[in-house]
Amino acid sequence: MLSTVSRQLRSHPALVPLFIFIGGGMCMSGGYLVRLALGPHVSWNRNGNPEPWNKTEPTQQHKFYAVNMDYSKLKKEGPDF
Amino acid sequence: MADIIEEKVKNYRTAPFDARFPNTNQTRNCFQNYLDFHRCSQALSDKGQDVSPCDWYQRVYKSLCPVSWVSKWDDQIETGSFPGKI
Repeated sequence: MLSTVSRQLRSHPALVPLFIFIGGGMCMSGGYLVRLALGPHVSWNRNGNPEPWNKTEPTQQHKFYAVNMDYSKLKKEGPDF
Repeated sequence: MADIIEEKVKNYRTAPFDARFPNTNQTRNCFQNYLDFHRCSQALSDKGQDVSPCDWYQRVYKSLCPVSWVSKWDDQIETGSFPGKI
Protein backbone atom coordinates (compact mmCIF):
# COMPACT_ATOMS: atom_id res chain seq x y z
CA MET A 1 0.00 0.00 0.00
CA LEU A 2 2.71 2.46 1.05
CA SER A 3 5.06 1.24 -1.71
CA THR A 4 2.32 1.82 -4.29
CA VAL A 5 1.74 5.32 -3.02
CA SER A 6 5.45 6.21 -2.90
CA ARG A 7 6.00 4.82 -6.41
CA GLN A 8 3.12 6.90 -7.75
CA LEU A 9 4.38 9.94 -5.88
CA ARG A 10 7.83 9.62 -7.43
CA SER A 11 6.29 9.78 -10.90
CA HIS A 12 3.96 12.66 -9.92
CA PRO A 13 5.93 14.82 -7.48
CA ALA A 14 3.41 17.65 -7.68
CA LEU A 15 1.16 15.60 -5.39
CA VAL A 16 3.46 15.96 -2.39
CA PRO A 17 1.93 19.27 -1.19
CA LEU A 18 -1.43 17.51 -1.20
CA PHE A 19 -0.14 15.02 1.33
CA ILE A 20 1.46 17.76 3.37
CA PHE A 21 -1.73 19.77 3.62
CA ILE A 22 -4.01 16.82 4.25
CA GLY A 23 -1.62 15.42 6.84
CA GLY A 24 -1.32 18.82 8.50
CA GLY A 25 -5.09 19.20 8.61
CA MET A 26 -5.52 15.78 10.15
CA CYS A 27 -2.88 16.53 12.78
CA MET A 28 -4.44 19.85 13.67
CA SER A 29 -7.96 18.46 13.99
CA GLY A 30 -6.71 15.47 15.96
CA GLY A 31 -4.74 17.76 18.22
CA TYR A 32 -7.77 19.92 18.88
CA LEU A 33 -9.84 16.86 19.70
CA VAL A 34 -7.17 15.80 22.19
CA ARG A 35 -7.19 19.29 23.70
CA LEU A 36 -10.96 19.08 24.09
CA ALA A 37 -10.76 15.61 25.60
CA LEU A 38 -8.20 16.64 28.20
CA GLY A 39 -10.02 19.84 29.12
CA PRO A 40 -11.82 20.48 32.42
CA HIS A 41 -15.28 20.51 30.88
CA VAL A 42 -15.50 16.76 30.30
CA SER A 43 -15.82 14.17 33.04
CA TRP A 44 -14.30 10.81 32.13
CA ASN A 45 -14.54 9.16 35.54
CA ARG A 46 -18.01 9.56 36.98
CA ASN A 47 -17.14 8.12 40.39
CA GLY A 48 -13.61 9.37 40.88
CA ASN A 49 -13.71 12.81 39.28
CA PRO A 50 -17.32 13.80 38.72
CA GLU A 51 -16.99 17.57 38.22
CA PRO A 52 -13.50 18.55 37.06
CA TRP A 53 -14.62 22.08 36.11
CA ASN A 54 -15.00 22.87 39.79
CA LYS A 55 -11.33 22.25 40.40
CA THR A 56 -10.09 25.13 38.27
CA GLU A 57 -9.13 28.63 39.34
CA PRO A 58 -11.66 31.45 38.78
CA THR A 59 -9.09 33.20 36.62
CA GLN A 60 -8.35 30.24 34.36
CA GLN A 61 -9.29 30.62 30.73
CA HIS A 62 -11.12 27.61 29.34
CA LYS A 63 -11.68 28.91 25.84
CA PHE A 64 -9.21 28.55 23.03
CA TYR A 65 -9.18 32.23 22.17
CA ALA A 66 -10.98 34.89 24.16
CA VAL A 67 -11.59 38.35 22.73
CA ASN A 68 -11.95 41.28 25.11
CA MET A 69 -11.97 39.36 28.37
CA ASP A 70 -9.69 40.26 31.24
CA TYR A 71 -9.39 37.01 33.16
CA SER A 72 -7.07 38.32 35.83
CA LYS A 73 -9.78 40.33 37.59
CA LEU A 74 -12.24 37.50 38.23
CA LYS A 75 -12.80 36.01 41.64
CA LYS A 76 -14.90 33.27 43.14
CA GLU A 77 -18.41 34.48 43.66
CA GLY A 78 -20.34 32.15 45.90
CA PRO A 79 -19.65 31.22 49.49
CA ASP A 80 -17.64 28.16 50.50
CA PHE A 81 -19.32 25.30 52.27
CA MET B 1 -17.88 36.23 55.27
CA ALA B 2 -21.63 36.07 55.74
CA ASP B 3 -22.08 39.84 55.61
CA ILE B 4 -20.01 40.09 52.44
CA ILE B 5 -22.36 37.56 50.85
CA GLU B 6 -25.37 39.39 52.27
CA GLU B 7 -24.14 42.60 50.67
CA LYS B 8 -23.55 40.84 47.36
CA VAL B 9 -27.05 39.37 47.47
CA LYS B 10 -28.48 42.80 48.25
CA ASN B 11 -26.68 44.41 45.30
CA TYR B 12 -27.45 41.50 42.99
CA ARG B 13 -28.36 42.39 39.41
CA THR B 14 -27.71 39.27 37.38
CA ALA B 15 -25.53 36.20 37.27
CA PRO B 16 -21.89 37.27 36.90
CA PHE B 17 -19.49 35.86 34.36
CA ASP B 18 -18.26 32.43 35.40
CA ALA B 19 -14.99 31.37 33.82
CA ARG B 20 -15.95 27.71 34.13
CA PHE B 21 -18.79 28.25 31.63
CA PRO B 22 -17.58 30.76 29.06
CA ASN B 23 -19.67 29.76 26.06
CA THR B 24 -23.20 30.52 24.97
CA ASN B 25 -24.60 27.26 26.34
CA GLN B 26 -25.18 27.99 30.04
CA THR B 27 -27.04 24.78 30.87
CA ARG B 28 -24.25 23.48 33.03
CA ASN B 29 -23.95 26.83 34.80
CA CYS B 30 -27.64 26.63 35.72
CA PHE B 31 -27.41 23.04 36.92
CA GLN B 32 -24.18 23.63 38.82
CA ASN B 33 -25.64 26.55 40.75
CA TYR B 34 -28.78 24.57 41.51
CA LEU B 35 -26.64 21.73 42.86
CA ASP B 36 -24.43 24.16 44.78
CA PHE B 37 -27.44 25.78 46.43
CA HIS B 38 -28.76 22.48 47.69
CA ARG B 39 -25.32 21.17 48.68
CA CYS B 40 -24.57 24.43 50.50
CA SER B 41 -27.92 24.35 52.33
CA GLN B 42 -27.39 20.75 53.35
CA ALA B 43 -23.78 21.26 54.42
CA LEU B 44 -24.46 24.38 56.47
CA SER B 45 -27.57 22.99 58.10
CA ASP B 46 -25.67 19.80 58.96
CA LYS B 47 -23.06 21.93 60.67
CA GLY B 48 -25.80 23.91 62.38
CA GLN B 49 -24.80 27.22 60.78
CA ASP B 50 -26.97 29.86 59.18
CA VAL B 51 -28.07 28.88 55.68
CA SER B 52 -28.44 32.43 54.32
CA PRO B 53 -25.05 32.59 52.49
CA CYS B 54 -26.42 29.95 50.13
CA ASP B 55 -28.90 32.51 48.82
CA TRP B 56 -26.24 33.69 46.36
CA TYR B 57 -26.48 30.38 44.50
CA GLN B 58 -30.24 30.55 44.57
CA ARG B 59 -30.28 34.00 43.01
CA VAL B 60 -27.88 32.86 40.29
CA TYR B 61 -29.81 29.76 39.33
CA LYS B 62 -33.09 31.63 39.38
CA SER B 63 -31.54 34.08 36.91
CA LEU B 64 -30.19 31.40 34.63
CA CYS B 65 -32.53 28.43 34.70
CA PRO B 66 -35.87 28.13 32.92
CA VAL B 67 -38.71 28.03 35.42
CA SER B 68 -39.94 24.67 34.10
CA TRP B 69 -36.58 23.06 34.83
CA VAL B 70 -36.50 24.45 38.37
CA SER B 71 -40.00 23.24 39.16
CA LYS B 72 -39.25 19.84 37.65
CA TRP B 73 -36.11 19.46 39.71
CA ASP B 74 -37.88 20.65 42.85
CA ASP B 75 -40.56 18.01 42.31
CA GLN B 76 -37.88 15.40 41.74
CA ILE B 77 -36.15 16.36 44.96
CA GLU B 78 -39.40 16.04 46.84
CA THR B 79 -40.12 12.59 45.45
CA GLY B 80 -36.50 11.56 45.87
CA SER B 81 -35.80 10.91 42.19
CA PHE B 82 -33.42 13.82 41.54
CA PRO B 83 -30.54 12.59 39.35
CA GLY B 84 -27.87 14.93 40.67
CA LYS B 85 -25.68 14.27 43.66
CA ILE B 86 -26.51 16.51 46.60
